[in-house]
Amino acid sequence: MDGGGSDRSQTPSYDSDVPEPGAGGTVILAPTDSYADLTQGWQGSLHEIRRPRHSSGTISEITNRSKPELAGEKQEREKDGELKDKLNELQVTDDEDLSLTSSDETTASKEDEKEGGQTAAVSSGPSASGLTVIESDSEENVQTEAWRSQRKHIFVLSEAGKPIYSRYGKEDKLVTIMGVMQALVSFLQDGNDSLRCLVAGKHKFVFLNRENLNLVAVAKTEDSYHQLLFQLTYVYNQIISVLTYTQLNKIFKQRRNYDLRRLLTGSEKFIDNLLHLMDHEPSFLLGAVRCLPLPSSTRENIAQSIVQNANVKDLVFAILLANNQLITLVRMKKYFLHPSDLHLIINLVNASESFKAAESWTPICLPKFDASGFLHAYVSYLDPGCQTCLLLLTVDRDMFFTLSECRQKIVDRLNRYNCLTAITEALARTSYSISQVGIADLRHFMYKSKSTAQYTSPELDAPYTTKEEQERLFGLYLYLHHRIHSSARPLKILFHVGANETLLGWMTSGFELYTVFGPLVTKTQAITSINKLLKWIKREEDRLFILNAPTF
Amino acid sequence: MSGSRVDMKIVLLGKEFGGKTSLVERFLHDRFHGEAPYQATIGAAFGAKRIEVVGKSLILGIWDTAGSERYEAMSRIYYRGAKAAIVCYDMTDSESFARVCFWVKELRNNEENCKIYLCGTKKDLVDENKNNRKVDYHMVTDYADEIRAKVFETSAKTGENIRNLFLKIAEDYTMDPVNKQQQEKDTLNLQEPTKKKRCC
Repeated sequence: MDGGGSDRSQTPSYDSDVPEPGAGGTVILAPTDSYADLTQGWQGSLHEIRRPRHSSGTISEITNRSKPELAGEKQEREKDGELKDKLNELQVTDDEDLSLTSSDETTASKEDEKEGGQTAAVSSGPSASGLTVIESDSEENVQTEAWRSQRKHIFVLSEAGKPIYSRYGKEDKLVTIMGVMQALVSFLQDGNDSLRCLVAGKHKFVFLNRENLNLVAVAKTEDSYHQLLFQLTYVYNQIISVLTYTQLNKIFKQRRNYDLRRLLTGSEKFIDNLLHLMDHEPSFLLGAVRCLPLPSSTRENIAQSIVQNANVKDLVFAILLANNQLITLVRMKKYFLHPSDLHLIINLVNASESFKAAESWTPICLPKFDASGFLHAYVSYLDPGCQTCLLLLTVDRDMFFTLSECRQKIVDRLNRYNCLTAITEALARTSYSISQVGIADLRHFMYKSKSTAQYTSPELDAPYTTKEEQERLFGLYLYLHHRIHSSARPLKILFHVGANETLLGWMTSGFELYTVFGPLVTKTQAITSINKLLKWIKREEDRLFILNAPTF
Repeated sequence: MSGSRVDMKIVLLGKEFGGKTSLVERFLHDRFHGEAPYQATIGAAFGAKRIEVVGKSLILGIWDTAGSERYEAMSRIYYRGAKAAIVCYDMTDSESFARVCFWVKELRNNEENCKIYLCGTKKDLVDENKNNRKVDYHMVTDYADEIRAKVFETSAKTGENIRNLFLKIAEDYTMDPVNKQQQEKDTLNLQEPTKKKRCC
């Protein structure tokens, strides 16, 4: 079934000295590996978060920059150290493989073994009996058939076991079930252990324990344990994005049994929307962003409009989005935007109608950038049809009117060069069809350039035109991604022949490629095809990727 | 609608789902989206409108803030320097009036020069059925006298009293001798650095 790298002559090769298609001269987003967020969650940020860098966070670093009278030599030195820290951090993210702790690896591999098996309790601690508890209790808590048949439940609860969020149903009606979850988690914590995953029949129960919050996924989808854990991390980051880590921590330090729902009022829809996007948009799975295909001259022109007209002090990021795709991103020199932070911004815009009515000014925390404080975002749509959304992120809370003037100047210049029309046209025509690629039997693909954290993918053509087929295709990608990134046995290449299609996944140091072929394609054919595909992407890279990263 | 040309800053405060955004929508664009689903405001939205009052033309800059509790800690960003605050309560929700007292205290402590206007919303629901009223009018007026504020009961759906509210706010502002002086001072200051004042 799987044709790994056994036959040398049949493996594709890519000259690693040549930059991969889509690799730009300058980096626009912080580069990522898949699961980078996750590994950091295990090793990096937890540690980092435990000692939040209050006064030395990125935000205060920028704020301090603008106060030269305060920036003595000592501070200069501190900044240097800070920067080195930041660089090291990036390095770690970059190089880190999926090296999880040993107990976790057994979890993952056992999980693999038991795939499709009837019932298996996998926990890293002494409590295999936990499973029976949750089974018997969930029967009492089962509400309705509709609730029970949801494919992926997500729950968030406080360390005291108070319900905070449930994807389906009213969380306050689920007090009992959440209590059970909390009991399971704390039982293992008492033994200095942690509960990570339970498998019962077709369901996976995945637990993420963060300081103050416990997150639980219960799913009977194609998602793997790591993929679910990754999604829970996103949910956690979404909550941080609304409150900041500092505030979250302060609240629970003061009152352990605080009802966090009070502070999250109105932001449940962000979590709902995020979960929906994660089930449909590959960008989260890939840790990458999709760019709106545009001629490079137009994109350059748009970037220039922003660089020239928004060159104001303390502006950190300027982002132009349309239909969940990135048009351009201008950043302050030295500072990078992490793809997962950009995903939260995309989610914010995607989930809110209220930005369409008026110019807005809102605090937003970007957990990867600085979990301890808020950036202030000026948000406004640029066109009457409300498709192109401009976000200007600054550390200065009093900059609204300055930024509002910048927006007007940007719009004026964009109109002078017909850029807004170009964007509208690019949005109206579908991005590109697989037939344009011109490779026989290639049905669909996803290509991610690792160094720029961007990906490209064609439109969904036949047979993936119905909702069911699209979900099935997404499931295939989940499977391919899971197998390639499996912590127990990571793969470089995977050739998988299924009943309806043949999959080929390929991972190099520069890119990740996931392809879906018709069922009858041979391995040799598939390899010839992906070499052609890479050439095609290289030819089109100007249009599909942002290759130059403009800065202020 | 550039911000620097706003003459007077007005801020709307109050519990979420109290109808602040609808009120602003009605005043700025004279429309009401009754059928659209509820959308919580994120952060704050800004809008401006020019109005004529006692022979003077004024541009009102209106900040429609999010009612959610998590923004309270940051609300100063929005109300700082405001000349008037419209503190809204939902006439069909007694809890929302409790929040009014919070905002009044907050403003009194931090923004002395900000005039307070208490504004009941969703009057159409109360007119439809008297039983919907959960906040007594006299109780509100008593409270308003105590804090020297004015009370308006409005409906964004019918538009009742909304223009009056803003006219009154603008009128109070222009009639206030402190602001008159301030305005003259401001214009003088503005004219000094620019040699030729051009109309754009």
